[in-house]
Amino acid sequence: MIIIALISLVAGVLCGQFVFDVNVINMFSHISDYALYILMFAVGISVGTNKQVFRKLKEYHVKIIIIPFGIIIGSIFGGIVCSIVLKMPLNESLSIASGLGWYSLSGVLLTNLGGAQLGTLAFLSNIMRELFSFLSIPFVAKHFNKYTAIAPAAATSEDTTLPMLIKYTSADVAVMAVINGVICSAVVPILINFFFNLF
Amino acid sequence: MDILIIMSVGIFIGYKYFNEKYSGINSLVQTLCTALLIFSMGVSLGSRPEFFSELYTLGIKSIAFSIIPIIFSIIPVYILTKKFLDKKTGDKK
Repeated sequence: MIIIALISLVAGVLCGQFVFDVNVINMFSHISDYALYILMFAVGISVGTNKQVFRKLKEYHVKIIIIPFGIIIGSIFGGIVCSIVLKMPLNESLSIASGLGWYSLSGVLLTNLGGAQLGTLAFLSNIMRELFSFLSIPFVAKHFNKYTAIAPAAATSEDTTLPMLIKYTSADVAVMAVINGVICSAVVPILINFFFNLF
Repeated sequence: MDILIIMSVGIFIGYKYFNEKYSGINSLVQTLCTALLIFSMGVSLGSRPEFFSELYTLGIKSIAFSIIPIIFSIIPVYILTKKFLDKKTGDKK
């Protein structure tokens, strides 16, 4: 997926810069509205179909929330720190950090809300979050505890970084990672919309 | 807001009516839409004349936006899991 995403981005930039005229560029902004609706519907179906997660949610009760809660609070705080360090508007900074590593969705949502530049920053930031998660999972699993290895991965812990988590943690932690990924993924669009419109 | 409503409808249909044998098609739809959306994002970004000069700034900012939230996610999760979750499963090697 990461390869498809990068190829699409580079191809889009090159077409926008060198190939397409203004009419075609405007047409793409309409197409992307509909594509976003279809995507969100399909993402909803994926979340709803994952019944094992609903069962595990009942089994672990409130404790299952601990990891995604920590990740969301930490990422929001990280967004506040980024806003201060990079001198950016707080709503933009918080919405980028709310991507929780889901680069494709946060990129397209923020393009829709705040323009292509903000969308691209969200895309790049969250793609890097995923890359740095790959690198940091072994270190965090070894020096903190195995549950904490899910923290850098955030919303990606149910798919792309899951193989890495399975390798460096245990089966129990892997189940928690899937549930964490589903919860984080479900809140990403809510948080992005909320923070972008908050200030 | 309309996006959240559409997603909620999807969750409801996925939970109640969706046949899992179509999940491959569903994930293909997601991949195609994502690729199309990222392509359009690239198009509107590349149509800005000053794009290539902005790329350096975006790169630096995105490194900060990845590392800082990672560090601040690790801290609360470590504290909370140490306090509330089963020690045997989560302990160090």
